[in-house]
Amino acid sequence: MSTTATRVIVTGKKSSRGPLSGRGKGEQDLHRPGQRSRQVKESLAGYGFLIPWLVGFFGLTLVPMAYSLYLSFTNYNIFSPPKWIGLDNYVRMFTNDPSFMQSAQITLIYVFIGTPITLLAALLIAMLLNYRDKGAGFYRSAFYAPSLIGGSVSVAIVWRAMFAGDGPVDTTLSFFGINLGGWFGNPALVLPAMILLSVWQFGATMVIFLAGLKQIPKELYEAAEMDGANAWHRFRAVTIPMLSPVIFFNLLLGLIGAFQVFASAYIISNGSGGPAGMTNFITLYLYKRGFSDGQMGYASAIAWVLLVVVAIIAFILFRTQRSWVHYAGDNR
Amino acid sequence: MFSKKRAFAGVALATGAALVLAGCAGGGDAPEADPTFDPDEEVTLDLAFWGNDVRAELYDEAIAAFNEEYPNITVNATFLDFPSFWEKRQTEAAGGNLPDVMQFDYSYLRQYSENNLLLDLDPYLGNIIQTDPLPENILGIGVVGDTTYGIATSTNAWGLFTNPVLLEQAGVEEFPGGSWDDYAAWMTEVTEAGGGDIWGGGDYTGRIQNFELQLRSEGSYLFSEDGEPGFDEARLTEFWESRSDIREDGTIIPQSRVEELVPKGGFDSALTASELTWDNFGAGYLAGLGEGYTELGLIAPPVTEEGAKDLYLKPSMLHTISAKTEHPEAAATLVDFLVNSPESGEIFGTNRGLPASETALAAAELDPLSQQVKDYEASIADRLGDAPPVPIVGYGTLEEKFRQIGVELAFGTITVEDAVSQFFSEMDVVLTS
Repeated sequence: MSTTATRVIVTGKKSSRGPLSGRGKGEQDLHRPGQRSRQVKESLAGYGFLIPWLVGFFGLTLVPMAYSLYLSFTNYNIFSPPKWIGLDNYVRMFTNDPSFMQSAQITLIYVFIGTPITLLAALLIAMLLNYRDKGAGFYRSAFYAPSLIGGSVSVAIVWRAMFAGDGPVDTTLSFFGINLGGWFGNPALVLPAMILLSVWQFGATMVIFLAGLKQIPKELYEAAEMDGANAWHRFRAVTIPMLSPVIFFNLLLGLIGAFQVFASAYIISNGSGGPAGMTNFITLYLYKRGFSDGQMGYASAIAWVLLVVVAIIAFILFRTQRSWVHYAGDNR
Repeated sequence: MFSKKRAFAGVALATGAALVLAGCAGGGDAPEADPTFDPDEEVTLDLAFWGNDVRAELYDEAIAAFNEEYPNITVNATFLDFPSFWEKRQTEAAGGNLPDVMQFDYSYLRQYSENNLLLDLDPYLGNIIQTDPLPENILGIGVVGDTTYGIATSTNAWGLFTNPVLLEQAGVEEFPGGSWDDYAAWMTEVTEAGGGDIWGGGDYTGRIQNFELQLRSEGSYLFSEDGEPGFDEARLTEFWESRSDIREDGTIIPQSRVEELVPKGGFDSALTASELTWDNFGAGYLAGLGEGYTELGLIAPPVTEEGAKDLYLKPSMLHTISAKTEHPEAAATLVDFLVNSPESGEIFGTNRGLPASETALAAAELDPLSQQVKDYEASIADRLGDAPPVPIVGYGTLEEKFRQIGVELAFGTITVEDAVSQFFSEMDVVLTS
């Protein structure tokens, strides 16, 4: 969203000169009539080329969003016209819908436990891969692969089979005397299993960390070493601060992505959100409300609450940035 | 690049054409004739049904037989499991592109027909769709308001399936019939004899039909035609509390086991010895159980009150046509074939329930299982009462909510009190929207 907004502003600033007239001397020539009509023509051509993007932006982004905001204040069952009910959907969500409360709760747990673990795992592996170059290409690909296929149906099915009562994970655990009897059928274990599945897909995060690590000048480490810093000190005083913009970026994207978990939950629970609602993440819940129960207005309201929550969290993160993210060339 | 002359010519042409078309439409006052189907017209129809591989093969066979008679109609069939089938239909309904012909469920009939999504079949009844083989009460099933929107393929009734192989392994006699308490006691006996590998059954209080059965025994109902519930919180509490015993003493199969079996259930995974469900589920169960299982027991559900008319025949499924189909006659021809033809009777047997059409039923060479369903429906004749009205809009949602709450009760993650208040708040929303 933020990139889109920036672009709009940029376009808006330039539009006084016509979007494609960045020639510099155009402004002085404006009072000449011939030049002027040419200027207009160029502007028109510019807008002409912009039309596909504008149509896309309004038709596929802005209007649907506005419409869904409107729907969130209505009772809409897909078939008959929406009926205005004011804030009822929002009131119902927080006062009269235990399934929503459960859904919100497990989503928050998933996001706030899963994301930090994913980041840690990704950073750890990235540092290992950065340490030595031997075979790095192979390992990089191997660790990256799961995040490529992560959202796919097959992986969720394999995951389900692995953690089943007679699957390899439980069989191995029972060898050590731990008998769990399947993860995805057990309301207490299914959430940890889902978090594991998301952590396993740390590949994309890892690649970005790796790129960030490669950017850290070797001299800093050498200097630190001269000062007698051990590995932990170097990590604390050099790696973390130098990497903080990348950490911030990964944290933000990770949190937002985790809020939107859907495919794996849908497949693992066969679309039911079970067992006992423990995989009924917010996106799955709103999907079911909309498409199985035909409560589109209510589903829209849930979607807007999700949007606001994600926006607030992103806002807070941006505000705290000042205290821990260090950009190169910063004076702070 | 754009000549004015050309533009003008274009507009003139278009106007002319429009006038000609309008003339045709207004002038030819054709007499109202029975709709017929042109046997030479090349037509493609989409057909959607819910089911499994077994049923899909039967549909393939039926379509092949249909094409022998109507080689010009190409039928593209797709299938999904029941919940996904309805999710897909909801989106299609919103987008206005439902398949031409649909296998349809009773609980959605009112919602779709009241929103003008289904084709009015009355003009086709008695001509393209034969009505002679369909008894009056069967035809009445697909009527909402005063219009026929669906043709029932078959009927079914609620029943109790048992697994003789498992019962023999456990060394327990078949359930001899009796009250709900007797049934619970019998389940406990099976579970105890099963030694941890076999359970007597699942938690039947998770199915709204079992609740309905009890309500009907008391002269009440689930929902009236106007959407008034025939029960209060106290009655629902009583129903869910009535089986706290078997939930707590380990009689029923652990819910975590059941969750791992999805999309199969405990019964068709040979872990539970009994299951209360619709009587046409037998074929699917046998297919799921696989080798070593050739027959099932099918008996009447437990009795709440002697002599009560608690059971009823309902359409196990209907066939409907999208209101927006481009080929209503061809679609009606396909519906007639799927419902009435001897071929469909022969192919489907009781896979979709006991055939509702007399021609289809007569041609159905009933395999032992199908014969069993037929005998079963005859055996419960004195318990059969009037069917409830066409289900209220949103019934499907409530049925599913009831099932989900049942799962949580079986897990023990919710108290009966919370369960009841959850169901009532859901009902509140569904009934007032």
